[in-house]
Amino acid sequence: MNPRDLFGLAGGALAAHRVRTRLTVAAVAIGVAAVLLLTSLGTSARDYVVRQFAGIGANLIGIVPGRVETTGGPPLAAGTERPLTLDDAEALVRRIPAVTLMAPLALAVTSVEAGGLSRAVTVVGSTPEFVPIRALAMAAGSNLPAMDSHSTAQVCVLGARLRRELFGDRNPLGEAVRVAESRFRVIGLLAPKGMSLGVDLDEMVLVPVANVLRLTNRPGLFRIAVQCRSFEDVPALEADVRRVLADRHGEEDFTVLTQQAVMASLARIVGLLTAALAAIAAISLGVAGIGVMNVMLVAVAERTPEVGLMKAVGASRGQVLALFLTEAAALSLGGGVAGVVLGLAGAQAVEVFVPALRMASPVWAIEAALGVSLLVGLVFGALPAVRAARLMPVEALRGRR
Amino acid sequence: MIRLERVSREYRTGAHVVHALREVDVAVERGEFVMLMGPSGSGKSTLLNVIGCLDRPTSGLYRLDGEEVTALPEPSLVRIRREKLGFVFQTFHLVPRLTALRNVELPMVFAGVPAREQRDRARRALDAVGLSPRATHRPDELSGGERQRVAIARALVMDPPVLLADEPTGNLDSVSGGEIVKLLGDLNRRGRTIVMVTHDEGIARVGHRRVRLRDGRIEPGEGP
Ligand SMILES: Nc1ncnc2c1ncn2[C@@H]1O[C@H](COP(=O)(O)OP(=O)(O)OP(=O)(O)O)[C@@H](O)[C@H]1O
Ligand SMILES: [Mg+2]
Repeated sequence: MNPRDLFGLAGGALAAHRVRTRLTVAAVAIGVAAVLLLTSLGTSARDYVVRQFAGIGANLIGIVPGRVETTGGPPLAAGTERPLTLDDAEALVRRIPAVTLMAPLALAVTSVEAGGLSRAVTVVGSTPEFVPIRALAMAAGSNLPAMDSHSTAQVCVLGARLRRELFGDRNPLGEAVRVAESRFRVIGLLAPKGMSLGVDLDEMVLVPVANVLRLTNRPGLFRIAVQCRSFEDVPALEADVRRVLADRHGEEDFTVLTQQAVMASLARIVGLLTAALAAIAAISLGVAGIGVMNVMLVAVAERTPEVGLMKAVGASRGQVLALFLTEAAALSLGGGVAGVVLGLAGAQAVEVFVPALRMASPVWAIEAALGVSLLVGLVFGALPAVRAARLMPVEALRGRR
Repeated sequence: MIRLERVSREYRTGAHVVHALREVDVAVERGEFVMLMGPSGSGKSTLLNVIGCLDRPTSGLYRLDGEEVTALPEPSLVRIRREKLGFVFQTFHLVPRLTALRNVELPMVFAGVPAREQRDRARRALDAVGLSPRATHRPDELSGGERQRVAIARALVMDPPVLLADEPTGNLDSVSGGEIVKLLGDLNRRGRTIVMVTHDEGIARVGHRRVRLRDGRIEPGEGP
């Protein structure tokens, strides 16, 4: 049987049984779409939870100088340990690929003046990465410029309340403020945020870190904050940080802080959500498969007499099988593609109504849905044909099964 | 050409056993035109199906063109159906979605005949049964007699030495039935071996010989 005849006959059969063809394609499409929609709902719900936890810093670790025996809390005593330096901080970025963001942190409490008004506030010395790591947002102007962390550029970003106290309704951008005897140009304003880790982020001024080190006349950082992609990478990141710093210092004279309690419960919740997601995917795949199977079984079984006729005029079992497999493949592929389109469109629609859920249909779900529908479609599209083709032609012509 | 020895065919339906054929002996020579007759249910179709390799006998021997068919595996049966046998059914069994021409091409599709040759041979076969003007019509646009002629063209298109026809005139009026019988007579005169089932004594006279069945047995009857 040449390919032209194979595809011609299969296509002709599909076109001739228009209703059945549409029903089958619809069954496959609905199955695939349901799998996609449900799994993307599950995945996006899980991602939502993970994102909420990331907002409170579950994928962050902090490194502080000094060694403490019990984990958690600040180091008890600042003894003779070596300080954490800017070079230490930069080594972490350089040597650990998992680090997505790093911010060195130096603090000083000093007076800030502008237009004759003065306030005693916390001066935060860091890099532009401080803003995303603390989940801050810019209200106006720009963040600190990307720079060498040793830079002492005289620019600053003001916290929301401090800005109001110093400038009232005037626009501070481009104005100068005096921070402990040095003049800094205001280049950006932060959106209101509130307290975080003991620092009132609304009443602070952010300047390049080297300025604060010079101001306090000490080489040591208060803290280094390091962020990785996901909370699941934290243990590996923690180990890397210990290795790199211990390597530089010759001993472990620092403390790594992680949010262990948060992480433990997060891991439990995410584990549960992942299991639920797997169950949803399995059930919807099963339901879709059974739907496809039924339509295929009925559609092919009623054509037993046709198989008998084909055999009577000289078709081999293999040729009958090839014809029905071609039909089944066309139906399942057509339905599968329609289902993917439908599922993705459905996911978009959900996102319109529930914007908090960022619907992303996982690639594995598309593959699994397509794979299962194709497999089930082929098997159950071909199985009755194989059975019919095994009969002697008269039996098949009579429609016996 | 065709030799059946003590061929039996039983149907088992639950506890019942229907003896459709009981130890039938039949011999048909090359070029013969044999009429198969007998009352309804006597086993005519069953016998013709066995001869056409559409069914297997429960027991007995069947030799076609010198080849022992009863023992052959499926692929060999496929070859025999393609090359040696043409079958015409009482109810036509045309594929409704295909044109007359495409229906006639069907056996060549499975035999792997190249596309161009399929078309030429199918046209010639339709021409031979006088249906060229109806080549692009679908079966539901054809009369019963025309459908049966399409079926005959399909049975002939692979040029088999043996043509089997199960009541080819059964669903036709006497005029179109007469035309079909005339057509078969012509084919036979050009050397084809034909076995045909009919109830009609008038039509049966066209054949060289009549074989009568009753209750699955051959009735002793007229000689050649
Ligand atoms: N698939 C089957 N299952 C059970 N019994 C069958 C089957 N096919 C045929 N028979 C029986 O076998 C016997 C012979 O049937 P067959 O079709 O050969 O008769 P026939 O001579 O062709 O009759 P008709 O002239 O009505 O076509 C009948 O008694 C019939 O009931
Ligand atoms: Mg019959």
